[in-house]
Amino acid sequence: MFQIIWQHTRRWQRVCLFAAPLVMLMEVFCDLQQPTLMSKIVDTGLAGSGHPQFILQTGGVMLLIALVGACSGSGCNALASYASLKMGQRLRNHLLSLALATRNGHDLSTPTLITRITNDVIQMQNLVMTLTRSLVRAPFLLLGGIVMAFLISPRIAWILAIVVPVLLLFMGLVIRHSVPLFTKMQQAIDRINRVMRETLLGIKTVKSFTLENQQQQLFDQINQQVQTSSVAAQASVIILAPVVTLALNLSIVAALWFGGGLHASHLITTGQIMAFVNYMIQITTAMINTVNTVSSLSRAQTATARIQAVLDLPQDAEPTATVALPTDTTLRFEHVNFAYPGGENVLTDIDFELPAGAKLGIIGTTGSGKTTLVDLLTRLYDPTSGRITIGGVPINQLSLAQLRQQVAVALQNSVLFSGTIASNLRYGKETATDAELVVAAQAAAAADFIAARPGGYQAQVTQRGNNFSGGQKQRLNIARALVAQAAILVLDDTTSAVDLATDAHIQQALRQVRQGKTTIMIAQRIAALQDSDLILVLDHGHIVARGQHATLLQESAFYREVAVAQLGKEVLTDA
Amino acid sequence: MPNVAMKRPPRGQHYTEEQLKVQHLKPTLRQLSGYLLQKRWPLAAVFGFTVVTTVVSIIGTRLNGLIIDRYIRTDRLKLLAMVCLLMVGMYVVASGFNWLQSHFMVNIAQETSTRIRQDVFTRMQRLPLSYFDQHPSGDLMSRLTNDVDNINTALMETFIQLFTGVISVVGMLIAMLVLSPALTLVVLLASTGTYFLSRQIAKFTQTAFRQQQAELGQLNSEIEETLSGKKTIQLFEQADQVLTDFRATNQRYVHHAYQAQVFSGALGPLNNMLNNLAYALITVLGALAILHGYQGITVGIMFAFLIYMRDFTGPIRNMLDLINTLQVSIVSAERVFAVINAPAEQDAPHVVMPTLTGTIALQHVTFGYQPEHPILHDISLTAKPGEMVAIVGPTGAGKTTTINLLTKLYPLTAGTILIDGHPIDQLDRYALRRQIAIVQQEPFLFSGTIQANIRLGRLDASEADIVAAAKAANAHDFIMQLPAGYQTQLSDRQQSLSQGQRQLISIARAFLAQTPILILDEATSAIDTKTEMVIQQAMDQLMQQKTSFVIAHRLSTIQKADQIIVIDQGRIVERGTHAHLLAQKGLYWRLYRSQFQGKDV
Repeated sequence: MFQIIWQHTRRWQRVCLFAAPLVMLMEVFCDLQQPTLMSKIVDTGLAGSGHPQFILQTGGVMLLIALVGACSGSGCNALASYASLKMGQRLRNHLLSLALATRNGHDLSTPTLITRITNDVIQMQNLVMTLTRSLVRAPFLLLGGIVMAFLISPRIAWILAIVVPVLLLFMGLVIRHSVPLFTKMQQAIDRINRVMRETLLGIKTVKSFTLENQQQQLFDQINQQVQTSSVAAQASVIILAPVVTLALNLSIVAALWFGGGLHASHLITTGQIMAFVNYMIQITTAMINTVNTVSSLSRAQTATARIQAVLDLPQDAEPTATVALPTDTTLRFEHVNFAYPGGENVLTDIDFELPAGAKLGIIGTTGSGKTTLVDLLTRLYDPTSGRITIGGVPINQLSLAQLRQQVAVALQNSVLFSGTIASNLRYGKETATDAELVVAAQAAAAADFIAARPGGYQAQVTQRGNNFSGGQKQRLNIARALVAQAAILVLDDTTSAVDLATDAHIQQALRQVRQGKTTIMIAQRIAALQDSDLILVLDHGHIVARGQHATLLQESAFYREVAVAQLGKEVLTDA
Repeated sequence: MPNVAMKRPPRGQHYTEEQLKVQHLKPTLRQLSGYLLQKRWPLAAVFGFTVVTTVVSIIGTRLNGLIIDRYIRTDRLKLLAMVCLLMVGMYVVASGFNWLQSHFMVNIAQETSTRIRQDVFTRMQRLPLSYFDQHPSGDLMSRLTNDVDNINTALMETFIQLFTGVISVVGMLIAMLVLSPALTLVVLLASTGTYFLSRQIAKFTQTAFRQQQAELGQLNSEIEETLSGKKTIQLFEQADQVLTDFRATNQRYVHHAYQAQVFSGALGPLNNMLNNLAYALITVLGALAILHGYQGITVGIMFAFLIYMRDFTGPIRNMLDLINTLQVSIVSAERVFAVINAPAEQDAPHVVMPTLTGTIALQHVTFGYQPEHPILHDISLTAKPGEMVAIVGPTGAGKTTTINLLTKLYPLTAGTILIDGHPIDQLDRYALRRQIAIVQQEPFLFSGTIQANIRLGRLDASEADIVAAAKAANAHDFIMQLPAGYQTQLSDRQQSLSQGQRQLISIARAFLAQTPILILDEATSAIDTKTEMVIQQAMDQLMQQKTSFVIAHRLSTIQKADQIIVIDQGRIVERGTHAHLLAQKGLYWRLYRSQFQGKDV
């Protein structure tokens, strides 16, 4: 925890980290002076015939101290805010750059990473605030209050020696007892939220299968659990307030009682008794705040652990270019095997050669390893064994920048970024001219709907391209890959969400654009693959058949079945 | 005597104006109090307990002062002991009442919110489908969860604290005025000072906070977008650019957040200062008054005031926060009640329905989500028992709408639909829907086991029935390959099954339902080719001997159909068999070539 904070702060922020608590101590010190000064006014100022001069002077000191306290408190807040926000800023930058730099599969899913960089960093920020402010103020008010009470009169301060430890222990026990009950409540709430969400999202299914009664029964049952567990959880903590109040009140009565006895023996003054009672109230409030602060720390603990896991993500050494970019784009996979760490082989003995300018088609069932094959080519992963070469150069001798300049990929799950259509298309090549964008968009059958948007290429794209349909996103995705004008073009099942007619149109247009480019096309539709120079049929990571369309119709039962299902029996006679 | 409240520190929430806007205050309050009135006796008890604890606290403080004046300063120890004993008794009773008050309140709040939750859910299930079309699921979800929570908080904390607050403020004000009007004025000055200071600072920081929230929203959405598009960013080597942009946003957020926090964070110390100032003033003025014998002020009265002051400004400051929270809760209540009060699906009285043979006739059916904008015009067609009707047409032609009408998911605007000669608007919708099984394009699976999901087709089905249905649906094999077979848990959001597998499970569901009528919506997107063929086979099996309507996207389906209905812009434009329609060379012919054969036309 402290290590993360320390590593993400610099000079002045570190100074603030230490200065803030010190300034806070000043405020605590000021607050603690008031009752003592009050007791002096009562005891000295009112003694005999009275000393108005002394009363006014002491009162002036009290006002001054109140002002100094307020300045210290605000100052501490300013310093602590600065340190915590700056720490948060650095931490966010660091985490995001780490997350973007990791290549290999790790077990942090995207939603988890998002939560960690957003919410958990804010939690860390709050933690720094707590550490430098609340965690200083409350315990020191508590300690200081006890010290002041003893200074006033050790003869009645012994009451504190009993009450404070007993109360702290009691609060600790109650909270410890309540934590599992609150966890149980939260679980019940999660369950009921799930039932509600599912009924809502599946409302058509619910209605069609008349599942209303069954869902209602399920809901009522869990709703009852929510009620029971919430009552149990809250019942476990409502004992705190009455007990703490009672303890405080009884201690005050005790102080008055024993104080009265001591007063009769002239061992204590009225002012001292009054100050003591005031300290008692301060101490009790401080005690409650201390317990609250400490229990809020345990929440920050989880956030810290979650952030540490991101910081510990394995980082790969970036390869530096050792050879020049080959002009030849002949692509070779040589006995390539791949498995995720600790997993079984996802790809086994993939071996093929694709001459420069040729088109490779890949077909296969879900999970057959098609996308992984492309990930190896772009070095999102490295093969477990075997090697991949472009123009005879093994790709791990090229820098990532060189490699990705050579290979443009349109991904299966197309992602757009907020900005404009043009800014998204220029992702492939920042310097692309407007004319180049239009050419690419036309080839991807995107030009028409782009033109139909107000603003055309300057039309806004909202977050993740949510203002475009699935088919439109896929077409922009293809256009983006085309803008890059890389020598090798990879299209990974990029037309699954467009209808057959549009798909046919895209395939037609692509034929023009990919002239001279080495192309890899993964698809489910035979129509998109049939003009390939080489088609691979993948099954469970193995190449089970290879050849051109006509050959595969004859040799691969799988390919034939798929072709007949999609294109009708005529396909056999046409070929 | 001081009353220690174990409440959360003020949350420093900043609400948007939207959140604080109440539109129908009166009816909302009436409905909310309707729920609370069911608990009127426990509530009355809570109020009673509160009055007792507050009064004890006020009297206790006064007694402290009296003890100082009458017994300690005069050393009357016997009487002191007696008064102390009295106070001990009082405090024990008050704490007991304090506990009872919380105990009752917890139960009232939880039982009430359980009821509200139940009412919302029950009504939600009965709402017509058009309601869900108009209200995004995220919004409904937040009404069901956050808004019900807000009501709960309002009942639990706000309500009771406001009540306690009012009683103690009024009670203490009276007690203080009786003791010393002059010192009361000092306390009031400190309280109003606190009030105006908070308002002033709040006004000042509100703009800063709004900017901070806006920047934070921007920051978070950049993080989300970047991480979601990570692979694309890496492949296009854009990480540096993205990080540069992000650093700038991050810097802007920190800048605004700092402004907001410095000012709002100063509020605590400043309030503390006002308290200390009042403390000093009471001491000094009190002491001077004692010296001059003014208004009969004694050391004991001064002492009581020092404690009253802390107990007085606290609730006042709190009540201001609470009014904000209460306002949010009322808006929440309004949102929740809007769901509860929405009109439920119209239904015909229950009639005993014979098992259907499955003759379906649509007669001049016209429909619009808003009756004045029809999207289906004059649709007429007849399907005989066991027939298969394929519906084809371009995207947005009205295919899905047509089949939604068959199960009374939407009310007809004009025309009738007859099933075995019964007009469907005279049929009870549960009875009707039990006769029709649906396979959706994107089937919805509930969390639970695979077995439980198939069972949804017919709730009293045995395990053997389920396995038989899964086998008929070609789902058995892949289910058995899963580690836990039929007991495999499907988790909430993270779907572990592929789209094809989900569709097979929903086909098994339809098999289990054993209905005479079937509605199938074929998937448009090309799912895994092999699975697609398996699905096709299962669907063919399922359609045997049933009257079926299929929204067709596949060649083999239309080739087998008994009749094909071609819909365009909400009208039937062509109908007939595959061969007959091809010969016409009309819209069907064009659709056939492009949609089913993938030829560019």
